[in-house]
Amino acid sequence: MNVIEIKNLTKNYGKARGVIDVNLEVEQGEIFGFVGPNGAGKSTTIRTLLGLIHPTSGSAEIFGKSCTTNPEVRKEVGYLPSEVFYYDGMRVIDLLRYSASFYKKDCTKRINELAEIMDLDLKKRIDDLSFGNKKKVGIVQGLIHEPKLIILDEPTSGLDPLMQQRFFDLIASENKKGATVFLSSHILREVQKMCERVALIKEGRIIKFEKMSTLQENNFKRIKVEGPSDLDKTIFDMPGVSKVENGGKTATFLFRGDINRVIRKLAQTDVSNLSIDEPDLEEIFMHYYSKDG
Amino acid sequence: MNMVRRELKANARALIIWSVCMFLCVITGMYKFSAYTSGTAATGPSINDLLRTMPTSIKALFGFASFDMATMSGYLALLFIYVELAASIHAALLGAGIIAKEESDKTTEYLMVKPVSRAAIITSKLIAALLNVVVINVVTLVSFLVVVPLFSKGGDVSGEILMMTLSMFIIQLIFLSLGAVLAASMRNPKTSGSVATGILFTAYFVARIADMSNKLKFLNLISPFKYFDLSRMAAGNGLNFGVVLLSLGLVAVLVGLTYITYQKRDLGI
Amino acid sequence: MNMYLHELKSLRKSTVIWTCAMIAIALVYLSLYPAIFSDGAHFKDMLAGYPASIRAVLGVTLESVTTLLGFYSMIIGFVALCGGIQAMNTGMSMLSKETRERTAEFLLVKPVSRAAVVTAKILAALTMFLITDVVYYAGACVIASIVKQSSYSGSLFFMISLTLFFVQLIFFAIGLVVSVFFDRLRSVLPVSLGTVFGCYIVGAFIAAGKDDWARFISPFRYFDYSYIIQNSRYETPYLITGAVIVLVSIATCYFTYARKDIHAVS
Repeated sequence: MNVIEIKNLTKNYGKARGVIDVNLEVEQGEIFGFVGPNGAGKSTTIRTLLGLIHPTSGSAEIFGKSCTTNPEVRKEVGYLPSEVFYYDGMRVIDLLRYSASFYKKDCTKRINELAEIMDLDLKKRIDDLSFGNKKKVGIVQGLIHEPKLIILDEPTSGLDPLMQQRFFDLIASENKKGATVFLSSHILREVQKMCERVALIKEGRIIKFEKMSTLQENNFKRIKVEGPSDLDKTIFDMPGVSKVENGGKTATFLFRGDINRVIRKLAQTDVSNLSIDEPDLEEIFMHYYSKDG
Repeated sequence: MNMVRRELKANARALIIWSVCMFLCVITGMYKFSAYTSGTAATGPSINDLLRTMPTSIKALFGFASFDMATMSGYLALLFIYVELAASIHAALLGAGIIAKEESDKTTEYLMVKPVSRAAIITSKLIAALLNVVVINVVTLVSFLVVVPLFSKGGDVSGEILMMTLSMFIIQLIFLSLGAVLAASMRNPKTSGSVATGILFTAYFVARIADMSNKLKFLNLISPFKYFDLSRMAAGNGLNFGVVLLSLGLVAVLVGLTYITYQKRDLGI
Repeated sequence: MNMYLHELKSLRKSTVIWTCAMIAIALVYLSLYPAIFSDGAHFKDMLAGYPASIRAVLGVTLESVTTLLGFYSMIIGFVALCGGIQAMNTGMSMLSKETRERTAEFLLVKPVSRAAVVTAKILAALTMFLITDVVYYAGACVIASIVKQSSYSGSLFFMISLTLFFVQLIFFAIGLVVSVFFDRLRSVLPVSLGTVFGCYIVGAFIAAGKDDWARFISPFRYFDYSYIIQNSRYETPYLITGAVIVLVSIATCYFTYARKDIHAVS
């Protein structure tokens, strides 16, 4: 069964566009990436999934049920929101205990484990914590009940590099234990590293929904050629070549298509250095992130 | 100037609502005036005679300790107690809110890093608040001047109305500055509004209790509502100049404290 | 249950403050009763000679204003004003708190239905009012028994005191339903103060006469104390109105809150 199933989801805020006809599935046990420019509709999608807002039409289900009609489904969901706010006057341990009381499980062991990993002082007052430390409270709070689905919205914003690493290790180990992860992030490097499939949303619509490997295969390769002397410009006059940066002896370009054509052309020239790079997600998506992508 | 304009705009809607409410207060109160003056010589003694014989304590229970109820100005004094209370609540909440706003709305990291001194910020806010209070006061004054002649059976009470409204203005100033200094000095400025209102209501009840008996005159010092003797004003004797000066002095002290404490304050996020 | 306890804890401090305030009001006014009694004793005789219209204007059955129950009826209005503000403030901030303090994304993502959240909060508020009123009532009883000049009916004293709880229920319900529709309000206090105080003023002036229709406007006027004292019961039309207001408000609250969109950080 698909852990998350979103079918023809549309949400309008009065006249303003939220999301339009979104279709997504997330399979059991996978790590799924969800990316898009600011204002694209990522938060709207997530909030509809969790039952915080109601769809105008279509459905968003977790484990086959809608969170609005079946709130108990959220027992198996852990959510880390992008901005974290808690009640005044509580200490970290109080909030975590209050959180745990909703899941009818004894989470004490888990609380201590997670606090240890994330370097979180349980006795401190939440009001006194820095932004990054509050974020850590959010992370721990989302994981203490060992949920089967973990939804993360910008999880590492505010965390220092060491904590970011620890956090991803944590997510990876949860995933190994069988949890499904839904990660929404602007840090494409992270998404690339962790996710098997990814969806790109722009202006309310899903414009890409593919396996990471397919994305990379079907996309441009970055080719860098260096010659002993100025390179022949005709090398780059090929279909499939774009974004040529020709600096005399060195040239970089993007190429999509049958790689043999490039090899044959290059074989006809004198080349001193050649590198062919897989594009990273950033390059692939930057293209979509820009207004005319 | 830009800050004053910003604050005025932010408070505009609330100001309109409060102004309408003040007007409704005045109309509602005047509507019942005729009921209080019914009773002619033919059917029996008027309520005025009744009240003259009523003991102070019982009269105080009804809130009109020493007013001559049958006359318009006496009744006005009674009505004014409630009008003043409403205007004071507005002033206290305004004063506290306008100072506490930056911290409760979390805009401190925006405003406080601009090239303006904290003193300039406070000044702009207080000016905006003062303008709001003046508007409320003028609305009340005009409401009375317009509505009273509709119900009055003759006799011009404009002078008394003016005096009472002026005294109300000073009381508004006192509570405005009280709210401001509380918000500037409290560790958690979000609760300053509640504290200011709490103090205000305590002062109100103290005033009503002081009405009850001549032996409790010392209580007049505690409650700003008793700084001005409304019955004196109803009798046409105007404001006590010394009290006016002292009150303005109190306002000045509170405002000064606001500046000083806000300057020293560690601004929370 | 956990939400209920959490809400109770957060209401703890304000409950203490309000209870003290209400007892203080009763204490101060009741302590003046003996003086009133002696002042009023001879005055009562004189009042009998005045026209009924004037007696009606003063709004209180003059024969009883110098009895403990009659005097208590007068001052319960002030206590009810206090209780009303407490109730409306609680009602208004209860649900909007999650939006205002942006903790909605914590609480509403937990495996509990919106209805469960509302129920926990309402029960916590009701508990708070009950505690406040019971402690107040105990205090008032003690003070009354000290200042009394003659024996009075304990059950009538209770009935008069109970109106406090009814008034609180009504204002709480109104506050709840308003907050569901206006949850972005930065500051709850001006609205709750304004509404409760407005009802109080309207009650004091417009309903001072026997205008029955006007009495429906202000919850403070739903209870005519002279009627209660004379008949040992409440007036049914007003009880029903009050109950209807409370039930409709709470039902609307449940219905609307379940269907609401909870928006991101505002």
